[in-house]
Amino acid sequence: MRGRRAEFPTIAEAARLIAAKQLSPVEFTRALLQRIAALDPQINSFLTVTEKHALAAARTAERAVIAGRKGPLLGIPVGYKDIFETAGVPTTAHSRLLADNVPAEDAEPVRRLTAAGAVMLGKLATHEFAVGGPALDLPWPPARNPWDPRRFTGGSSSGSGAAVAAGLVLGALGSDTGGSIRLPAAYCGIAGLKPTPGLVSRRGVIPLAPSLDTVGPMAWTAEDCALLLDAMAGHDPADPASVPGPGGSYAAALAQGVKGLRVGVLRRFYERDVPAEPEVLGAMAGAERVFRDLGCTVGEATLPPVQDYNAVGRVIICAEAYALHEARLHARLADYSRAFRVRVLGGALIRAADYIAAQRRRSALIAETAALFGKFDVLISAPTAGAAPMMSEQRPDDGFARPMLTTVANVAAVPSLVVCGGFTKTGLPVGLEIIGPAWGDATVLRAGYHFEREAGLRDTRPTF
Amino acid sequence: MPWTTLVPSQHKLPGPPLTPAEMELLVARAGLALNAGQMADLVLAWRQLSGLIAAIPRSATMADDQAYVFRLPPPAPSAGRAGKRTGTAAAKAKPRAKAAAKAKAAAGKTKPPVRTRTAPRAASTGKKPARRR
Repeated sequence: MRGRRAEFPTIAEAARLIAAKQLSPVEFTRALLQRIAALDPQINSFLTVTEKHALAAARTAERAVIAGRKGPLLGIPVGYKDIFETAGVPTTAHSRLLADNVPAEDAEPVRRLTAAGAVMLGKLATHEFAVGGPALDLPWPPARNPWDPRRFTGGSSSGSGAAVAAGLVLGALGSDTGGSIRLPAAYCGIAGLKPTPGLVSRRGVIPLAPSLDTVGPMAWTAEDCALLLDAMAGHDPADPASVPGPGGSYAAALAQGVKGLRVGVLRRFYERDVPAEPEVLGAMAGAERVFRDLGCTVGEATLPPVQDYNAVGRVIICAEAYALHEARLHARLADYSRAFRVRVLGGALIRAADYIAAQRRRSALIAETAALFGKFDVLISAPTAGAAPMMSEQRPDDGFARPMLTTVANVAAVPSLVVCGGFTKTGLPVGLEIIGPAWGDATVLRAGYHFEREAGLRDTRPTF
Repeated sequence: MPWTTLVPSQHKLPGPPLTPAEMELLVARAGLALNAGQMADLVLAWRQLSGLIAAIPRSATMADDQAYVFRLPPPAPSAGRAGKRTGTAAAKAKPRAKAAAKAKAAAGKTKPPVRTRTAPRAASTGKKPARRR
């Protein structure tokens, strides 16, 4: 089914229709629940559909609209990666180990979106504990890509990417430790933001590697990500890493243009470090043209090799994830998926000196990356070397064997947005990554917003 | 050699690669009981992971370790003495503290406060303190 615009409003469009009382949150929620029932069996993006909860929340939102309350998320249907704790709703991390886990409280980002009037439609698939990879030996099947269900969604926020792309929810939350928001955003043709660490609270979000974990929004457009971030961002004393951000509205800041913005192209990343396919190279060349047309100055930028960031990121993730899971691995090793075991068990053999060496190198990489923002306002790169690969090509040790372009921003502790950067000849999306300096979240969202508007890639939805 | 001098790095793991027997020992010491398939998976993963570990340079200066600090919240205004107390607050606080100490001493529960030394007495080590020149 080729998508039609009226069928797939963005968050911004739906908010305008709801505010004008032209769209009923209850009717909209019902329509999406029906859509989930009809289409999700093909892509497995939901682990739990919270129909009763959703309709009750939608009725509350509708009453609020009638009473005159306004807000960009009021009555907007969303979903949460199943590592975000939700009061009274199972939170499994897509793992047999937490199959019966029903938290008493909402994670802080969920609480904030609920307070803003968002309507939770359900909990979304992930890789096991946000690291495992697509696995067939778990109680739930892995999510599949709505552009071609034989293909991988990217991960680990796999269900979030698939559900947004398929138009089953208008927005979703994901987590990103090495690329877990931005890889599904790239492969599923949506927008996903990994914010500056500390900007969004992680309280109540099941951790993977706390020194690298971030949580952020995923939606059809950068504008929608900004609307979600407006509701989520802010200091939370209960998350030790949370800090007061720069404040202000990320959505309001989109109105500023990008004329004069200094765009650095990390060409070596995707031409030499992780050689990309020709169609990705074409999309990157197209992105450069778009930014020039928008009045930006575009120049080549250079950072240390992707492999340097990747080695640091993988060692830290493996060591921290193993430490977090050690007791459960001792007690219930066989209950983890093979993919999880392959990616995490090596942490048992990492020496303390190796882990500290990775953290020390990270400090240097943070400084080297930050220095580049004296010359450029944003950096652009390809988030992946190609379009979504086939599910059958995925190997459990992929996380080690193939360097990930997205890990650069995690290790460097900077915000990074992926938007749809183009399509292959076969109609699969490829992403564009926009990286900013620490606390430059508003700038990367603004760059992504204007890129999307100029490139005109947001009218095509998956057909399945 | 000054302590901030760069220590050259050869970018290699300390020691030769693990043998299967050594890996089994390390796995056992980690408290893991792996079957043959799980051990094969770990060997596959470790082959990749050890390459990544070896790729991390060890040439940072010792001074870089200053980066490892815990970010603490700013102290509350009443915590510690960040600066001189001024005005009425200081004027009121001193007599009150003195009065409390005197009252305790008078009650015979504690000794009056004794001025502490800035350095421990050398007598505790059995040596006389070195004379300042």
